[in-house]
Amino acid sequence: MTESLTHPDAVLTSEAAPLPAGTAPAVIRVRGATFGVTRVALRRMTRALVLVTVAAASLEVMARIDDWLVYRTPFLSRITSEEDLIVRDRLGMHGRPSVRFGKWEMNALGMRGPEAAVRAEAGTVRVATLGASETFGLYESPGHEFPRQLEDTLNARLAEGACGARRPRRFEVLDAALPGMSLPTVEQDVRLRLSRFGLDVALYYPTPVQYLENRPPVAAHPDTAPGAGRLPATHALYPRALERVREDVKRLLPTPVLAYLRRRDAAAAVRAHPPGWRFDAVPTDRLSLYEHDLRRLLGTVRAAGATPAIATHGDELMRDPRDRRRLLSAWERFYPRATGRTLVRFDAEARAATLRVARDSGVAVADVARALTGASEEPFADFVHFTDHGAGLAAGAMADAVLAAARERGVCGAEAAPAAAPAAAPAAAAGHR
Amino acid sequence: MLFNSTIFLFVFLPIAYAVFWILRSANARYVWLTITGYVFYAYWDPRFTLLMAFSTLVSYTAGLGFLRWDADPRRRKLCLVVPIVTDLTLLGFFKYANFALSTVGATLHWLGGGEVALPHLNVILPIGISFYTFHTIGYIVDSYRRQVRPTRNFFEFAAFVSLFSQLVAGPIVRFRAIEGDLLELGRSERTRWLYRGISFFAYGLVAKVLVADTLGAFVDPALAHYRQLSSLGAWMAMLGYTFQLYFDFDGYSCMAVGLGYLFGLRIPQNFDSPYKSLDPSDFWRRWHISLSACLRDYVYIPLGGSRRGAWRTYRNLLLTMLIGGLWHGAGWTFVVWGAYHGLLLALYKRFGATWDRLPRGARQLGMFLLAVFGWVLFRATDFGMAVWVLRAMVVPTAGVLVLQPALAAALLLLAGWWSLRGPNAYDLHRRPERDRAWRRQVAVAASLGASLAIIIGSRPSPFLYFQF
Repeated sequence: MTESLTHPDAVLTSEAAPLPAGTAPAVIRVRGATFGVTRVALRRMTRALVLVTVAAASLEVMARIDDWLVYRTPFLSRITSEEDLIVRDRLGMHGRPSVRFGKWEMNALGMRGPEAAVRAEAGTVRVATLGASETFGLYESPGHEFPRQLEDTLNARLAEGACGARRPRRFEVLDAALPGMSLPTVEQDVRLRLSRFGLDVALYYPTPVQYLENRPPVAAHPDTAPGAGRLPATHALYPRALERVREDVKRLLPTPVLAYLRRRDAAAAVRAHPPGWRFDAVPTDRLSLYEHDLRRLLGTVRAAGATPAIATHGDELMRDPRDRRRLLSAWERFYPRATGRTLVRFDAEARAATLRVARDSGVAVADVARALTGASEEPFADFVHFTDHGAGLAAGAMADAVLAAARERGVCGAEAAPAAAPAAAPAAAAGHR
Repeated sequence: MLFNSTIFLFVFLPIAYAVFWILRSANARYVWLTITGYVFYAYWDPRFTLLMAFSTLVSYTAGLGFLRWDADPRRRKLCLVVPIVTDLTLLGFFKYANFALSTVGATLHWLGGGEVALPHLNVILPIGISFYTFHTIGYIVDSYRRQVRPTRNFFEFAAFVSLFSQLVAGPIVRFRAIEGDLLELGRSERTRWLYRGISFFAYGLVAKVLVADTLGAFVDPALAHYRQLSSLGAWMAMLGYTFQLYFDFDGYSCMAVGLGYLFGLRIPQNFDSPYKSLDPSDFWRRWHISLSACLRDYVYIPLGGSRRGAWRTYRNLLLTMLIGGLWHGAGWTFVVWGAYHGLLLALYKRFGATWDRLPRGARQLGMFLLAVFGWVLFRATDFGMAVWVLRAMVVPTAGVLVLQPALAAALLLLAGWWSLRGPNAYDLHRRPERDRAWRRQVAVAASLGASLAIIIGSRPSPFLYFQF
């Protein structure tokens, strides 16, 4: 810049001596001060601007081509983030049908996974997995999220004689979960939408710490406005390269910097509220509310004609990891109202509550939390989301609960032969009745 | 650290570049280049920096020995032999020990010795050891031959050995090639080679990230399941590998050259459109030029070159290429690949006049196909794979095609045109600077943008030549 912006004196000097062609000064006035800018400098600045624009445009075009090549995302897709996979309309909050973003592909029913008919074929036991991002699958490679592995495990167990003489043709698992879906919203989704799909079993994997958000979770209101849920056409022009850059910057930041930023965010949230706002201990009213909502979901599932099954929630902190502080600060950032310790305790107490609800209600339960505690390989990619391996372990634990629910429903008979080990993972948690 | 990673592009390189040009004296810049080289290397595995430091120290000391005992042939010879033996021992241990043990075991078994349980050493091959060993050996030999004057400045030599741009995958830069630039490092101008450096780097990035890695997306899975390939599938996979290897290594070399320019050092050309070559000699004048030159100067010529009759020439060519094959990897497939090229060179020496009478197009196509067959051996993990793929290529075989065959075919056409007909980075820069300068800058900007889109959206893929 020192080369391009010159002092007025310099302009006078350049006027005194003839300048080479193309270097005659242009005059720029900024707040009364006059600056001389040579035409060469102006041309350089324009050129630099054009080159930066070309590079940015090329970056964006190539990001879109890459998305198409790798994921078959349309060049002008309006889906710009995971959030766009979610729609809110008269049926409440659910998955947007037939769209994809990155590795996440939604079928025509608005669920992650392969296409499925509204009604299952005869002889098919249809299982819906309900929950939030852990169930939807964030870090697993495509096809390795636990609902897909659960389907594989169930069908492998079926082939091994898990249903004895009363044997369905196959198990089909619908992944009806969405990131951020709260328990009341799940209950609403079962009531307003999922009941149409002829579910045999509905398995819920909870995210209890949602009850430590600033306000207790409520169901997302259905939106009955005309055109609700439609994405504006301008979304197609949203720069996709930005998301890639953001992810890369996050990856590049050293762990201490990232931890500091998370702590700062959490501290800012605490400062913005009156003293006593933060949960330093497990809030019993919130835990009771979780238990209440869970019981309500079980009732709704039954009312919808399906048999419920539930699972306990696992988290990495239960395993006493080496990077405990980093994980806690990352988790706290999402729930700044609770201290890290409260989050861990709440999750543990919610597990006990889940087991209690299952016992009281006579519902099959998979103790996923216990199954993951002793995992030899890393089951979590962060504080709560599964790796491929973790999803496999969870699926193995859940398969027993689903089979128990299917037997209760009468669509699967008792095991004929001694149980063989499940294909995906050892069933650490037996179906609990 | 990889050139095509965000940590290199957005953290390491800007810091290395900025500090380098803030420093003024040549000495300070040598020290800085040495530090950056070691940081670059340590990012992969810090333990092996000690190995590089040891190799550097031994060769530097030998250089001082040449200066001190200039008129003492016996001591000069000692200064030649000791560091070379040290370097080759290290290389031999880390790269060839297990290969040698398994070969001895297999030979004893073949001779009827039953199952011989020779130990398998748990050693990791340090990245780039073949390259920096050649750098130091080249320096020693050239000093001994008085082709370079050994430096007394330790950091000048350490900067040369650990220069991050060519540290792990070449080009094999000889001290004499950049000695002048190293001496002038304190006086070099930042902007003199700036545009050239950026454009070479951008060209390399496009070759690696957009072409080689995209080809790898269908080549690697296909060759991982080579037994399922049909004849067409095998041809597509091997043509894909032929282009992948070229664009990967040429891309790396161009990035290395570009980085050299950014730091005021002119690193010599390593590829000159090798698939445009018309015969085996021409091929080795264009493919991995720096290695060919080393093999010629340090192996072929000392063996006698072509001065002692036809048969000695053929033998020398064969031996040189055998060593070249072994340099690439500790495996018999590499040795046979080297022998194959040695044989081609010998045959060309014998029947070159006949070959040269063929039309130009036929010679280029013929040489290209010979190279493709050679790459089967080079890529194969064992002889079983090599035989299987070669048979699928020559005997009609039913099976599957590669993944996304239409896209793969389009890519092969593009890569084929570029490598057989299109310009390389040097061709582009040989055109007059003022001619189409504006369009060239736009092309560089677009290339950088497009490559960055892939780099920032995925995990960087390593360069194929890192394994050597």
